[in-house]
Amino acid sequence: MTIKLNIIELPKSDYQGGPSSLCPGCGHDQISSVIINAAWENGIEPENIAKMSGIGCSSKTPAYFLGKSHGFNTLHGRMPSVTTGANVTNKDMQFIAVSGDGDTASIGIGQFVHAIRRNLNMVYIIENNGVYGLTKGQYSATVEVGSAKRKAEPNEQVPIDLCAMAINLGCTFVARSFSGAKKQLTALIRAAMSHRGTAVIDVISPCVTFANNDEFFRSYGYVKDNDMELHAYDYIPHFTPLGEVEIPEGEFQDIALFNGSTLRLETIESGHDTSDAVAALSQIHKAEQEKRHVTGLLYYNPGPKTLDEWLELSETPLANLSEEQMRPSETDLATLLAEFRE
Amino acid sequence: MEKVVNDFTFNIATANGTGSQSANLILLHSMFEMGLPVSGKNLFPSNISGLPTWYIVRVSEAGYQAPGDRTHIQVLMNKATWAKDLAALEPGSVVIYNTNVKLPVERDDIIAYPVPMTKIARSLHPKLARMIANIIYVGVIAELVGIDQAVLEKAVAKQFKGKQSAIEMNITAVNLAREYVAENIEKSDPFCLEAREKDPNTFLVEGNEATALGSIFGGVTMLSWYPITPSSSLAEEIIDYIPQLRTDSEGGVTCAVIQAEDELAAAGMVVGAGWAGGRSMTCTSGPGISLMSEFIGLSYFAEVPGVIWDINRVGPSTGLPTRTQQGDVNLLYEAGHGDTKHIVLFPGTVEECFEFGWRAFDYAERYQTMVFGFSDLDLGMNFWVCDGFDYPDRMDRGKVLHTQEELDAIENYGRYRDVDGDGICYRTLPGSGLEPILTRGTGRDEDGVYSEDPAIYVATMERLKNKIDGSRTALPQPLLREEEEQEVGIIYFGSMENTIQEIDDQLESTGRKVSQCRVRALPLSPMVEEFVQNHETIIVLEVNRDGQMYGILRKELPIELVPRVHSVAFSDGIPPRARVYSDMILEKLEEVGA
Repeated sequence: MTIKLNIIELPKSDYQGGPSSLCPGCGHDQISSVIINAAWENGIEPENIAKMSGIGCSSKTPAYFLGKSHGFNTLHGRMPSVTTGANVTNKDMQFIAVSGDGDTASIGIGQFVHAIRRNLNMVYIIENNGVYGLTKGQYSATVEVGSAKRKAEPNEQVPIDLCAMAINLGCTFVARSFSGAKKQLTALIRAAMSHRGTAVIDVISPCVTFANNDEFFRSYGYVKDNDMELHAYDYIPHFTPLGEVEIPEGEFQDIALFNGSTLRLETIESGHDTSDAVAALSQIHKAEQEKRHVTGLLYYNPGPKTLDEWLELSETPLANLSEEQMRPSETDLATLLAEFRE
Repeated sequence: MEKVVNDFTFNIATANGTGSQSANLILLHSMFEMGLPVSGKNLFPSNISGLPTWYIVRVSEAGYQAPGDRTHIQVLMNKATWAKDLAALEPGSVVIYNTNVKLPVERDDIIAYPVPMTKIARSLHPKLARMIANIIYVGVIAELVGIDQAVLEKAVAKQFKGKQSAIEMNITAVNLAREYVAENIEKSDPFCLEAREKDPNTFLVEGNEATALGSIFGGVTMLSWYPITPSSSLAEEIIDYIPQLRTDSEGGVTCAVIQAEDELAAAGMVVGAGWAGGRSMTCTSGPGISLMSEFIGLSYFAEVPGVIWDINRVGPSTGLPTRTQQGDVNLLYEAGHGDTKHIVLFPGTVEECFEFGWRAFDYAERYQTMVFGFSDLDLGMNFWVCDGFDYPDRMDRGKVLHTQEELDAIENYGRYRDVDGDGICYRTLPGSGLEPILTRGTGRDEDGVYSEDPAIYVATMERLKNKIDGSRTALPQPLLREEEEQEVGIIYFGSMENTIQEIDDQLESTGRKVSQCRVRALPLSPMVEEFVQNHETIIVLEVNRDGQMYGILRKELPIELVPRVHSVAFSDGIPPRARVYSDMILEKLEEVGA
């Protein structure tokens, strides 16, 4: 049997990680396998990827994918700042970050906000299950009003919608997906990996241990029954000529991504315009009112500069500068001292 | 009346935000230009405008840099402190006061010079009279104590660099003030200045600017910062120098600067950049260190290099944010939870601010850990005489493997395997594709794989301890000034360097000959123990309440040496005045029977 290789002739095994220690059936493991597929299918050099995470069940997962990539399992809620420092130091790397709803919507909400504000060039995946798994199932800040985990009173506090927040902050790529929707999630993650800027993907990822009962809005059963998909997606990589791709029967729209790839949006119901932030917010609002989840690419704006561009960093990544490039010369020092002594 | 030449102290009382800082710096620079050993201390409030500010200028033929024990010439501009400042003066002092404030000067044991400063200023520019009144007192002082006009004009030009109209107006104001004094005041005090030959190599610089330059010459590639007094000027100086010193031939910047959302993020960026192979730093003060502590612990345990400059201010909590202290010794040395131990560098001079600025990166990368620079408001934000900066040695980038060949040369490579026996392991960088691991703050084995094995944890912690202990002889070693008697030895550190000579002279005037050991880094060098060994009585001198360095010595010295070590610690927010400490030392020596 020949082993299937990707465009840069690597087997998928080069993108796999160690065995998972999460609960069997955890949504996060499905997301890990989608990340592996997406990176492999996109043909990204594993060594060019940095895997970043905070603390929590979701943040453990970088150990389970992309074993040939360096990674950093940082502090609770602080993944964005570590990624920021690493990103400006090696701007040519692809940063794929995983966080959870506790990690992002509570302890780390400040860093989430500011990473977006800087348009940090990264894929920011939130594995959002509505509960704190590692500390035994407390509600998180994203759980909906009326949603009730197993053997518990329903939540009464207003949820934080991370996609709405990201859109309001001018995030350049905002999507919501579901760990059980493998095809959609794969296309969105592949597109996010081809975007330049902050790409936020809020993935509903059920917690099978503490909150997979039907009364919980983020359980498998509930999401399957209440998923409003914006579009069907087809990701067409830059190395596949568009002309060779079969044209869909219905209406569709192509979005050109930074690296030359295309995300094809096939209309399901009303055609959501991904360049319209107000429409995206309206979709989120409508879904919330109907106690449903809207999934798909909500908002996309390829225009704004990323942090490294805005900083006008040298062409050579700062990590690769030579001593001579990092340290001003003896003449510089002499000139400076002469000015002081004037 | 006998003249008092080049040995007296001015105290200038103004209100914050009136532009008095420019006037004070002109005065300071003028005296410095005259070749006089001079120092300036800015005692300012945490306020944008209105609250009282004092500027102390001390001219000292002996070269003392500390604020003096008393004021000789008091300038009164501020209504709010008028009466108190006046009452504090010793008989025979001089008062130069602004008559337009319309407050009385009712003391017949002092020499009072009334000047209608606001009125003179108004004649020049009615709208800016309040600000110009400050330069009027500069002119008055210049005329009274004898500052050469050319020197003064040079200082004005330096202060208002390039702003021709401001330069002209200030020079006119100075001349008006001089004329007023010549026509209306008869000098009846003994204080005067005589020019000395100025060492052309010297200049005045703030510690924060020196540290900023040291960092730039140290090759910093990322500065993250969150504004906090008294560290902000360090970051701002780096930002100011980047276009000149850290831009490549294509105009690309070689040092990223990010103003973070808080100190948590600032520290996170340092860790991220250090992990990715950059030279990263942040600067802050005590409250910021509190917030950064979780990352500092991570840096220690995950072994990620980074540099944090702590410009100490008074604590705890917000404390007195614009006052000085050496209050963060403990905080820095053991920041983070669990067992930690950090490298802390203590510059005592502006030359060392520059030197430790670049060395900090070498130590951080050599030991793969967070390295602290310990400065304070006094050293950081006041101007000090500087002889110049020496160009740094070649960089030490530490044990980083860049190629497969380098990796192959190591038998049984593991990110956390101590192949050299010095506790320092080899690392590979993201992007290299060489032996990647998932860096983490949780337990891991020598290969970097998650582990909660007790034996592995113990081995890791022992190795980390050995690694940091190994720096004791490599870090800047203490500077010793030993007396033959070797009875009493003083251990001190940091900005106390600028007061120690005066303390020493005061002690010697009572017949006490004391040796000195200036600690320049934690963990302590073995030389410190030797110094203690060599002296019968040891005083640990520091600017805080509890004797934090003293505590470290008690913990780390052999137990039989501990009884000879005593603490003299005091902090009131004001830069250390010699007399306060020499009195406390004498008292302590008496108390312990030394």
